[in-house]
Amino acid sequence: MMKKSNILLVDDDDIYLYIMKNTIHQLHNELTINSFTDGEQAVEYITKCTEEKVELPEVIFLDINMPFLDGWGFLAEFKKLKPKIVKQVNIYMVSSSMLESDMKRAANFEELTGYVVKPVTKEQLTEIFKKIYHENW
Amino acid sequence: MWKRVLKMLVGLYLPLLALTLYLYYSQKEKQIETLEGYQIRETTMKKISFEEQCYSFLNDTHYWSTLKYPKDFDPTGKDEEFIKSYLELIKEITDYDQFRFIDLNGNEFFRAVRKGTDSLVIGGLQNKQKQPYVKAGLDLEPNQLYLSQISLNRENGVVEKPTKPVIRVVAPIFDVDQTKIGLVVINFKMKRILDKMKSKIEDTNVYLLDEDLRVISSSTLTDDLPYESDDKNGSMFGILNTNAITQKNDTSYVENDHIWSKQIIALNGTTHSFGLKSNGTSEIITPSNWLLVLEIPPSLIKSYLQPVSESLLIFNVITILGLLGFSYVFQKNIDQKEQFYKDLESKNILLTISKEKLEENNVMVTEINNSLEIRNKQLSDFNYLISHNLRAPVTSMSAIVEMIGKEKNPDVLVQLLPKLDKVSKSITNLTKDINEYVSILDKKEIKLTDINIKDLILEVKNEFTETLLDDSEFGVLLNLNAWDHLYFSKFYLQSIIHNFISNAIKYRRDNVSSHIQFKTSFENNHKVLLVSDNGIGLNLDKHGDNVFKLYKRFHRNISGKGMGLFLVKSQLEALNATISIDSKVGAGTTFKLIFEK
Repeated sequence: MMKKSNILLVDDDDIYLYIMKNTIHQLHNELTINSFTDGEQAVEYITKCTEEKVELPEVIFLDINMPFLDGWGFLAEFKKLKPKIVKQVNIYMVSSSMLESDMKRAANFEELTGYVVKPVTKEQLTEIFKKIYHENW
Repeated sequence: MWKRVLKMLVGLYLPLLALTLYLYYSQKEKQIETLEGYQIRETTMKKISFEEQCYSFLNDTHYWSTLKYPKDFDPTGKDEEFIKSYLELIKEITDYDQFRFIDLNGNEFFRAVRKGTDSLVIGGLQNKQKQPYVKAGLDLEPNQLYLSQISLNRENGVVEKPTKPVIRVVAPIFDVDQTKIGLVVINFKMKRILDKMKSKIEDTNVYLLDEDLRVISSSTLTDDLPYESDDKNGSMFGILNTNAITQKNDTSYVENDHIWSKQIIALNGTTHSFGLKSNGTSEIITPSNWLLVLEIPPSLIKSYLQPVSESLLIFNVITILGLLGFSYVFQKNIDQKEQFYKDLESKNILLTISKEKLEENNVMVTEINNSLEIRNKQLSDFNYLISHNLRAPVTSMSAIVEMIGKEKNPDVLVQLLPKLDKVSKSITNLTKDINEYVSILDKKEIKLTDINIKDLILEVKNEFTETLLDDSEFGVLLNLNAWDHLYFSKFYLQSIIHNFISNAIKYRRDNVSSHIQFKTSFENNHKVLLVSDNGIGLNLDKHGDNVFKLYKRFHRNISGKGMGLFLVKSQLEALNATISIDSKVGAGTTFKLIFEK
């Protein structure tokens, strides 16, 4: 039986994952954080969750540039799984890119909640969590 | 141009000229016909008038022949009284030139000769027995009259001056017992008769000829009977020389623009009644027939035709001028048209040239545009690379540095330091890769040569141990019929082929005999290289966008840096070639390389 995670990090950069986990834990100690180093693994996880009726994470921080399946590819696959998903999942595109083309492309995905440019600061995370967890935060 | 104008003028004018000439000649023919008709009528009238005159003379003489003369008639002696009353009569008839009686021996026994208009001289008898008219007269029957030739009067054998044309009429005379006692001979003056006959309308010439065609009288001569006169200088001395005259019958004839018309006056043997009807008819004896000839000379025909020819001439002159003007304008028009077409043609040529140039420029612009687009794409790729791949480690590094600065727990610090080392190493690797990429973008360093691609492929193939054995599990197939030489960077092409073979071996399918094929062809005059394998293939729906991007990997369990196809694309684009991919999972992959012309 799988265990539910609150936050899902998808990024091929180990250092980034380490820093993100560190920062989130500083803000809140009880959140469960799960991570994958490429889109393909993340898709597999989400699929498994829907199959085994495990609750999906509230937030996904998604990198664009990854091997095997990139952020855009993940979004395309997620779209296919959407009918099976009941819960509201907030997906944030996280990228070091400040390219307008990337931001424009991101705006076209209604599955996306927001676009964040690396490095992700404590303040940015606090704001995001406030939006999601409301008064519980 | 004038040559053409004249040519055209002649071409247009000749038919008109022919028409004009036809009109002229038909008009002339008509004119001549009309004139001929008039002339025949005139000839007839003159002939009748002449004959009437002869009959009048014959009638006079016949009168003298019917008188009953006294026995032993002696007009100068015992019968002076008898003749006296008649002499008064003779005196009044001015046509009488001489009035004579001649006895049966040919001797004159009475002679009256006119001197002046109203006096007669009696006497001066001559012997005329040798004269032809006396001889002929003596042979006359009672009912016969003799009409002599017209001749100049001679006295004692010499032509009288000034010349005096006369005609003699002879008749026998009888006494009361009806015994023939001699002849009456009357000389009639012909001058008036001939002048009347010669009187002419306009310039018509009149000729009176004897049977031998000698001219007796003519409107063209001042003197009558020139052949009898001593004056041999008469312009028409002898015979009128024309065919018309020699015809035996009445005729009219056109010869060399002369219109001749001839009628024969033939009195010999004809009978006529003179005086009272009870006298019966008398037969006329004459030695010669006359020919009356009228001639219309060419000058007269010409003068008749003058208005026609003048109007035709004027018409022709106007026509020539008109046609000349028309031809000139027409030819000038043609010249201008030709010039216009020439100009148009040269303009057309210029336009064609400039169009070709424009097209060339267009092609050039398109090519430049293409390479600029490629360049632009490269720049945007580079931009992507920097913003994604380079920025990530840098931000990570700054985040770790910040964390180290805040961290006071030495255990955590020990954890952080190796992370920093990892980031710095990844930055170093990335810098190396980017350096390689940038060197490709900098086109200036590329050395181009003519490459035999077969040799090159075989050379690269030998770098892979998998292909070395004859019964190896991996085949490299060549189909280079379309072309096998390429002007390109040998270093790049070597690297590109290496990548293709390497990928084909790396991503081959199990349980099949794997191969890679290189095939050349042409597309729109561009050299095309198709590289296909029968490997595991790639889901292009998922990965199509990322195939040629840096650090993209699509197969988890096969090692790779995600650099190969990125470099292949960069190297091709650096030399204005393009690459595209077609692939099917479980079937294979085909790359299509299109090179610059």
